Formats: sequence, C-alpha cells, structure tokens
Amino acid sequence: MAEKKNAVIVGGGTSKFGVRQAHLLDMIQEAMKACSDDIPALKPTDIDGLIVATTMAGRHSSALNTAPLVVHRLGLSPTAICIRLDTLCAGSNSAIIVAKGLVESGMAEAILVTGAEKVYMPQRWETNYTQLMVNDHDWDSAMGLGVPPPFFAMIAKMHMKRYGTTKEQMAAVSVTNYTYGEGHTKGHFAGRSLTIEGALEARIIADPFGLYDCCPLSDGASAVIIASEEKAKELTDRPPVYIRGTGQHASHSMSAGWPGETLAEWTHLKVAAEVAFKNARLTPKDIDVAQTHDCFTISEIIELEELGFCQKGEGGDFVASGAIDIDGEIPTNTDGGLLVYGHPFGASGARQSLEICKQLQGRAIHQVKDAAFGLAHNLSGTCSQHTVVIYGKEPVD
Amino acid sequence: MADENMAEIVGTPALDGTYISEMDMWPFECQEFNRIYPFYENLRAGKFTTTKCQKCGHIAYPPGVICPKCWSDELEWVELPQKARIVTFTETQAGAPIGFPSPIIMAWLNFGEGAPLKHLLARIVNCKEGELNEGDEVKFVVFDVPSHPIEIKKETKICDRVYYAFEPVK
Ligand SMILES: [Zn+2]
Repeated sequence: MAEKKNAVIVGGGTSKFGVRQAHLLDMIQEAMKACSDDIPALKPTDIDGLIVATTMAGRHSSALNTAPLVVHRLGLSPTAICIRLDTLCAGSNSAIIVAKGLVESGMAEAILVTGAEKVYMPQRWETNYTQLMVNDHDWDSAMGLGVPPPFFAMIAKMHMKRYGTTKEQMAAVSVTNYTYGEGHTKGHFAGRSLTIEGALEARIIADPFGLYDCCPLSDGASAVIIASEEKAKELTDRPPVYIRGTGQHASHSMSAGWPGETLAEWTHLKVAAEVAFKNARLTPKDIDVAQTHDCFTISEIIELEELGFCQKGEGGDFVASGAIDIDGEIPTNTDGGLLVYGHPFGASGARQSLEICKQLQGRAIHQVKDAAFGLAHNLSGTCSQHTVVIYGKEPVD
Repeated sequence: MADENMAEIVGTPALDGTYISEMDMWPFECQEFNRIYPFYENLRAGKFTTTKCQKCGHIAYPPGVICPKCWSDELEWVELPQKARIVTFTETQAGAPIGFPSPIIMAWLNFGEGAPLKHLLARIVNCKEGELNEGDEVKFVVFDVPSHPIEIKKETKICDRVYYAFEPVK
C-alpha cells in the first residue's frame, strides 16, 4: 500500500466573468491561459487528470459530454480521470474534493479542475426554462420557482423576523464585497462601487431584496491545478497550500424535505461544516479568511452563523460590525464574491478556492495579513446541498 | 440569389410548431411516463395524496415507488391535509419564469403539529398582491394546465394535465 500523499492547490485563473460574447469553450480556453500565466512551468503533459464542472453546458452549449471537448481544446491527454461533474453552484469545489482523493491515493499527480458556464442563450428567456430544471422540476419548479430570488427572499424575511436582521445589515455585506471587488478586473461588476445608501435605494427584485442583495448570473470559466505536493514543487516555488479537509452534505431536493426548524436555520450546512472542520483538524477560530457562497446578502449572513464564525442569529450584527472587513475577525469574500465577481455556477467554487490559495500564498489583491488557514463554501440547488473545503499552509499530518 | 425557401427557415425547421418537452414547465403526468401517475389522477378528483410505507409507516413527499426510509416497495396511497398556514411569503416583482404570471406569489406553508407533511413551498393563487398576511390560512386547489402530445406507434395521444396550488380561505 502506497503512502498517502498530500494534495495541494497550486494556482489557477479565471476568464472574464459577465455577459460574454463568447462560447463556453472559448471561456475555458481563457481560464486555461490565465492558469498557465499563473503557473508558467505547467505544460499540457503535466496534467494527468481532468474534471470539468458545468451544469448548463448540455442545454446551453449543446455540449453534454463536456470533458473530451475540453481535452481537445486544451491539448490535454489525461490518463487517470477525464469526467464532467455537476453539482450546480458547487461544481468546481466538488471537483476539488474528488481531485483531493485521487491525488492523495496516488491515482493522479496533477488534475486540472475547470468550471464553466455559458448562461445566456441567444433568446435570454430560454435561460428561465433551464432554471426550472435546476430545482426539483415537477414539484417546486411547477409552483413557479425558477430563479432563486423568491426562495431566498423568504429566507431573509424569516431571518429578519426571528433574529432581527435588517436591510442595512444586508447592505453591509454587498458594500463590503464591492470594496473587495476593487482591482478584480475580471469580475462581472469590475470597476463599480457601492454605498449603503446606493444599496438601500436600488430597485426591488423580491422583497426584501434590492438589486445589490442578489448576485448576477454570469458567463465565465475558472481553472485550478490540484496536485501532489511533490508535483507542485516541480511546478512552482510558491509555498504549498494543502487541502486539509472537506465536507459535503445534501438533505433534500425540494421544499418538503427542508431540514431546518424554519428557513432561517441551515442545519445541513452545519453538518457539512462539522465534517470539514473535523477532517481538517481545525475549528472556526483557526480560519483566517473565508469565501462563502454569497448568492444573496442573507446567504453570507446565515453562512457565517452556521459555519461557526459567529453565534446563531447574530450574523446581521456581525457583518455590520466590520468582522468581515480585511482587518476584521474573518475577512470574507475577499475577491468580491458572487455578488461582485459574478456567478457562473460551475466556475464559482474554483474561483473561491483560487482566492484562498492566493491568500495563503500571500499574493492576494486584498491580502489578509499572515493568513494561514482558509475556507471555501458553496451552497447549491434551492439551498439543498452544502460543500466546504478547508485549506492550510501546513498539512493535516 | 439564395433559394427563396431558405429565407423562410428560422432556427431548426424540424421543430416548427412542435411541442418541446425540454421547455415544459409542468410534469409528464401520464401513465406512459411515470409510475406515480395516481398522484395526478387523485388531483383530478380534488385529492392531495402521497405514498405511505406499509412496512415502517413513513409518509413520503413527493410520492414514490419505494419508501425513502426503509426502501420497501409496499406502499399505499393516503390523503394529506388540504389546509395550511402561511409562515412567510414573497411577491416576486422580477424574474418569474416565463409562462407564470408576474408578480407571482409564493409562500412557505406549515401544515401544523403532527402533520405528515411539515412544510411546503407553494404558489398562492386567486389572491391579489398585497392581500396576503403571515399566519393566513390557505387551502389546496387544483387547476388545469396545458396538455401535451405523446407519440405512441405513430398515433398522437393528447395527455391532459392538472396541477395544484393553494388559495386563501375566505
Ligand atoms: Zn418504510
């Protein structure tokens, strides 16, 4: 039996996110170019595994079996694994979990994880039909639940009622994330800024959400390399960033199976987090920087609670207190998050993990001082599944 | 000059006037496409039903072919309560899927202590924007939705369909 290896994230890159005049495969090539620029020593022949995370590729780009297309366009020749994977918004962090296992077991040395979506179709309204398919189509979707704002609006109303969370506190999340978005020129809303007043005065999407409480749907792609520690040393002189622990938990597909006492309690995230922290042999106190799934401002607030960064119900006060700022207790979504960098579902997880990688290597645009441990989190579906990946500058053992 | 017929072809000609199942908002309810079709038959009779396990007693929702608790396939159809209370709701201003009215009212329902179905996300119909309050009682209602054709040995069968929502108890 071979000795267990350490899996590390080496580096990576993203395409420009936004409403793009580009094909899915164009954007994957852009992400690969950015990844190659980030890891100049990396050659196509170094990569022995490929995992492509995408949800929309089949329907929007007529590319159901996406992995061979990516192999061809990127000049790869993987021998360990070559698959497409879909967990909607958690796609590429799910792929990182799979890659970790393959690298640790010795089955692969260097895996390219790429996530990509071309969301917008020639007829934009067609996108709304796809949205019906990413929920439990015959049940919640047939009730009219397509795009997520109505569901998360109810979550927000519930959290406001039970815990006193305010619109101003939710606005604090988007304003903070816009501050972090500065300098991230590939972000969907790059170059824009936001004030609390601006956030509160924006047009209503679904009460209590204004425009800036909701992340955009974006076209875009990301790419990261997950490798053995030995292989990573051949590819870069940067300090290794170890994947210490992961957890992924799903509890249901439609509303009847919701696990919490109310919509404001995300007990299934708590479970995923506990598993990840146990595997990482860390506690929330150890984490220096986090990327949490800020599809809506309320999501980030509840995630900070359920991940254990603050007490349940205190997320609103916590974000408004400056705790998520660069010098706060837990700087969060330091690249602008989904709210500003954008959200091409399958691409978001790798974008988050890449930001944690850069933070732990001391080369982030908004650098958290002496960051040693970081966490990435995605929710997916109608908040039916949670994915947590924890990184560190030291391996678990 | 291009062939004059070419100018008339927009998109995929084979789809002209054809039902496209990929863009359907509603389930395929007919017997040919699923084994829980009694659920939809029961809807037609005004009944809100699901499957109950005869082995362990678990009542699942949505209904199924096996019990998700013990995997037994010995199931029976039982009725669910038709009244619930609004826990919270939303009147969506933007982004209602095409084919649904906008604003669309959706609510999180609670069926009460001990009910087999604890909560459900449901569309509220027969209700104007601004009329609904948290705590209001709502009741189950069935309505027709568009039918769809299926091809069976070159014959076309039309499958009529219904769906359900909740409406305020007035
Ligand atoms: Zn059973």
